[in-house]
Amino acid sequence: MKLKLYADRMSQPVRAVIIFCKKNGIDFEEIRVDIAKRQNLTPEYAEINPMKQLPAIVDGRFKLFESHAILVYLASSFPGVADHWYPADVFKRSKIHLVLDWHHSNLRRGPTTIVRNTVLAPVLGRPLNPEAAAEGEKFLSASLSKIESVWLKGNGRFLLGGNQPSIADLSLVCDIMQLELLGETERNRLLGPYKEVQLWIENTRNATNPHFDEVHKILMKAKEKLQNPRLKGANNEGGESDMKRTLHSRI
Amino acid sequence: MKLKVYADRMSQPSRAVIIFCKVNGIDYEEIKVHISKGQHLTPEFAEINPMKQLPAIADGRFKLFESHAILIYLACAFPGVADQWYPADVFKRSKIHSVLDWHHSNLPAEAEIILSSSLSKLESFWLKGNGRFLLGGNQPSIADLSLVCELTQLEVLDEKDRTRLLGPHKKVQQWIENTRNATNPHFDEVHRVIMLAKERQQHQRLKAAKNEGGSNMKKPLVSRM
Repeated sequence: MKLKLYADRMSQPVRAVIIFCKKNGIDFEEIRVDIAKRQNLTPEYAEINPMKQLPAIVDGRFKLFESHAILVYLASSFPGVADHWYPADVFKRSKIHLVLDWHHSNLRRGPTTIVRNTVLAPVLGRPLNPEAAAEGEKFLSASLSKIESVWLKGNGRFLLGGNQPSIADLSLVCDIMQLELLGETERNRLLGPYKEVQLWIENTRNATNPHFDEVHKILMKAKEKLQNPRLKGANNEGGESDMKRTLHSRI
Repeated sequence: MKLKVYADRMSQPSRAVIIFCKVNGIDYEEIKVHISKGQHLTPEFAEINPMKQLPAIADGRFKLFESHAILIYLACAFPGVADQWYPADVFKRSKIHSVLDWHHSNLPAEAEIILSSSLSKLESFWLKGNGRFLLGGNQPSIADLSLVCELTQLEVLDEKDRTRLLGPHKKVQQWIENTRNATNPHFDEVHRVIMLAKERQQHQRLKAAKNEGGSNMKKPLVSRM
C-alpha cells in the first residue's frame, strides 16, 4: 500500500515533506486537503489527524503528523534516502534535532505571522493586523540574524556547516519561501540584509530542483494573484473572491 | 570528562533533563545558571549556547541545546538507558517525535487559552487508551518527562487557578502522578526549587491579603514596624 500524504501546498511544512519525497524517489499518493475550504476541519480528516493540521501521513495502518516527525520517519524508514538528509552519526543527528526544535519557536513564527495578518488576511476571513505583522517581522529578523551568525557559520553551503542539505534545510527554507506571497518588494526588503540566507535558499533550491520549483508553483501563482494591481484597488471584493476561487480551484 | 549540564531548575526543560540523567544513572556535573540573575546572558554562557537559553550540555567538545534534542542525544549516547525512554522501534519513536513537536506549539504553561485546549487534547488523544503514560505506554518516555515538567510549572500558580485549570482533567492529573512515581525520588528532589518558590508565593499572597484587610487589621501591622 502506497504512502498517503495529506497535503495543501500553500502550507510550508507540507511543501517540505512533498519535496523530500520527490527528491528521494519515495512513492506516495498526495491527497489534497484544502485549508481555505476548511477541509482539514471535517470529521473525516480528524480520523487522520485529530489536531486537524497538515501535513499528515498514513503508511499502511501507521498514522503520523507534525512535519519534523514525518521527515525523520521517512528518512529512517525508506531505503535509498541518502545519509546527509538525516545522518546516522549521533552528533550530526543531534544538531539537526536542535535546529528543527529551534525552528518551532523561532523562524516558523515569522513568515506565517506576517503573511496571515497582511496579504492572506482577506482570503482567510481575518482582519488586517499591522501590529501583529510588525511583531512577526521582528521575529523574522531576529531569526534570520541567528541563522546567519550561528547556523550558517563556517564554510558549508547548508546549515550546520553541511555541504549537502538535510531535512533541517528543507524545513526552514520552505518556511522562508512563504514570504514570496508578500511580493517582490516586500520580500526583498525583509530578506535584503541577509546575503548568506539568500545564498543558502538558492543552494537548497538548486539541490532539490526540479522538485522545489514544481512544488512551489502554487505559491508563485497565488503571489501573482495577490500582487496583481488589476485585482487590488477599486474592485477589492472582486479581487478577494477571485483569489478565493483560485485557491479553491486547486482541487 | 564528565557530561556538563547547564541548568536552572526553575526552568521546565532544565528539570526534564536533570531528572532524566538521575533516573538513568548518567554521571553529570550540574552547572547552575540563574535566569533570574541574568547569568544566561553572559558572554561565557554564550560560548556554550549562543541562543542564551537553558538547558544546554557539553559532552567533551560536543555542545548541544534545546531540551528535546538533548533528551534524545542522552537516550542514544549513554548505555544503560532503558528502551522505553526513546524506543528503537521506528514507529514508537516517530510518535514520540510527534508529541514532542506538538508540545512546542501547544503547551507553554504561561498561555492559558492554549493550555486549556492542550490539556483537553492530552486527555482525549495522547492519553487515550489503557496505558499509564502518553501514547498508550506503560513505561514513561522522554515525551512524558518533558511534558509533565512543563505542567509542573503550574505549581507556582495560586491553588484556585491551578485547580481550575487542571481540575477537569482527571487523566492528566493521574498521568502526572504516574510520571512522578516512575521517576521518584529524583522528580521530587528536582522539583524542590519550584515547591519552595510556590511556598514563598503563597506566603506573599497571604501577606498581601492581610494588608488589604479591614482597618482593625492594619493597626497591629503598623505597630510592628
